[in-house]
Amino acid sequence: MLSIKNLHASVGGEEILKGINLEIKAGEVHAIMGPNGSGKSTLSQVLAGSESFEVTAGEITLNGENLLELATEERAREGVFLAFQYPVEIPGVSNLQFLRTAVNAMRTHHGEPEMNAAEFMKHAKEVSRQVDLDPAFLKRGVNEGFSGGEKKRNEILQALLLQPKLAILDETDSGLDIDALQVVSRGVNALRAEDRAILMVTHYQRLLNHIVPDYVHVLAGGRIVKSGGRELALELEERGYGWLGVKDEEATAS
Amino acid sequence: MKSAPTLSSAFLEPAGSHLPGPLLELRRQRGTAIVDMPLPTRRTENWKYSSRHLKLSDELAASLPASGQQGASLSMPGYRVVFHNGIMIPEASDFPDIAGVLIQRFCDLDDDEAAALAERLDNTLDNHAVQMARLNSARFEDGLYIRLDKEAVLDQPLFIIHEVNASSVGSAYPRIYVDAARHSQMTLVEEYISSGTEPVMVNTVTEFVLAEGAQVTGVRLTAEGESVQHIGATGVRQAATSRFESHCVGFGGPLRRHDLRVSLEGEGAGCKLNGVVVTQGKQHYDNHTSIEHVAAHCDSEETYRNIAADESHAVFNGRIHIHQDAQKSNANMNNKNLLLSTGAEIDTKPELEIYADDVKCAHGATIGQLDKISLFYLVSRGIGRREANTLLTMAFINELVEQIPVEAVQGAVQLRLNDFFNQAFQEV
Repeated sequence: MLSIKNLHASVGGEEILKGINLEIKAGEVHAIMGPNGSGKSTLSQVLAGSESFEVTAGEITLNGENLLELATEERAREGVFLAFQYPVEIPGVSNLQFLRTAVNAMRTHHGEPEMNAAEFMKHAKEVSRQVDLDPAFLKRGVNEGFSGGEKKRNEILQALLLQPKLAILDETDSGLDIDALQVVSRGVNALRAEDRAILMVTHYQRLLNHIVPDYVHVLAGGRIVKSGGRELALELEERGYGWLGVKDEEATAS
Repeated sequence: MKSAPTLSSAFLEPAGSHLPGPLLELRRQRGTAIVDMPLPTRRTENWKYSSRHLKLSDELAASLPASGQQGASLSMPGYRVVFHNGIMIPEASDFPDIAGVLIQRFCDLDDDEAAALAERLDNTLDNHAVQMARLNSARFEDGLYIRLDKEAVLDQPLFIIHEVNASSVGSAYPRIYVDAARHSQMTLVEEYISSGTEPVMVNTVTEFVLAEGAQVTGVRLTAEGESVQHIGATGVRQAATSRFESHCVGFGGPLRRHDLRVSLEGEGAGCKLNGVVVTQGKQHYDNHTSIEHVAAHCDSEETYRNIAADESHAVFNGRIHIHQDAQKSNANMNNKNLLLSTGAEIDTKPELEIYADDVKCAHGATIGQLDKISLFYLVSRGIGRREANTLLTMAFINELVEQIPVEAVQGAVQLRLNDFFNQAFQEV
């Protein structure tokens, strides 16, 4: 479903991604782990189409479609969804209005009729219960004054409403206590589907106890340095990232 | 060196003599007083940014005729008074007799009433700070006098629709005077609209005098067409414990100017002044506000937001003057501005003069652009760029629009804002 080939991206002339190769099939859940600064968040943002980064080489296709030729909103309509590491607060735009506008943009793109306010309200309320988010949050400004956990649940709520083909979860576990982590994980697990790919970006493996990935990749220095199954995450937990890094190589050599 | 331009004598020939004698006499005196009145230039501090947009050709001095057809106005639940070119149209107006409330056009006042009103007019604005209001005093041809007796409550908003008929070149001078006795209450909505496309000038003065404990809300919607220069002034005087709320919403034009002056003269008086301005194309909008904290223990809270698109220009000048005896004053002023394009300009200036030592006075002003991260967040959900821009821009002023206490005005403002955004973002 998602195919990334030799992806290079930079910001302000500094290369962050230095040749990423990754294939994700429909129905699979992949985890990308790596130390801070390894390029994990950059990869998520580049996939979603952030203009802060410049793609200098490589290709990204989703079901054969060249994503790099599509603007951010077009990628979203083709089914790319990024759950932000730091969801943005937008006071003055109600969460409900935001969600409905997004859902209707998607429906229009797929030739479906828009949902009216009442229909959507009912639907959104149901889904918000699924992520344990009080429907009262629908009436507040987008993420305005939400706690860290509430923001992350609001991200998963959006994913559930938009039903993407590719869901990218950027550090969705950061800042969550154990209860919130369970709620969020439940939401993500509800997203698992045969026709959907999920890419989880995380620093810690604890999320992977709740959302069991099919594959784990280690990103370091802008490249995927190791790939494996779930057991790789456990090994990382035990041994840290050091053994994969440059220092460890030097240690092995000596 | 060129001598400073002065007001053309053409402007000192008021037409319309339907006013009662004492008001005609007042008008004559005011006219005499402004013979050779210097016009603002860019060296005039309070007209620095706007003087070049002020175009007072002799043709504009012509008094616009009183009849005309009604333009697209608010459909409003409430009482209604319609003015065309500054003259009231009784047959288009609709309000009942309400105990304790007098709503009467100036032209219908008898000589005694008119003499009493003449004594009271022109006591809320500062001639030097609001020089163009003097022209209104020399030219008004009618007006609306609203008097609330002690404890009288107007149960619904009173809408005053000022339509200017720009089917010929000229000017109009709408005038409103509100006299709110102790503990009376009312909401007044002033709507300024136009029809026709000839160059016209609208010069307005609205005065509110609030006695002890009176509560008055004034809503002002300025939405005239592209051929209209609008120069308006609102003066407010407040006695002890009275409350005045102002909600101004302005859409740009070749020249839009509003001076709002509030004087807190009795202890415990308070005012809240909200303003929203949107401009596009080459439009120009200039808000000058001034709050006089004369008495102790008064509160003022002021929030103005400007959005400027294209090559338009918005100006906000907020003055707070805390007099020596105004101890325990609490004044808050905030002005936020949003530039939608690199060609747009916004100038904001707080002016604080504080002569008392035990006061709280805070002010803040920002000028910014739409937040790129917020925009990315919205479009990453599939929302189109134009719609995302609109959502973010609306968000910037929604807080103020939602505070407008009259739903019909909120609705009308939203509709007009949608038009504005459709145009402002059509290139995106």
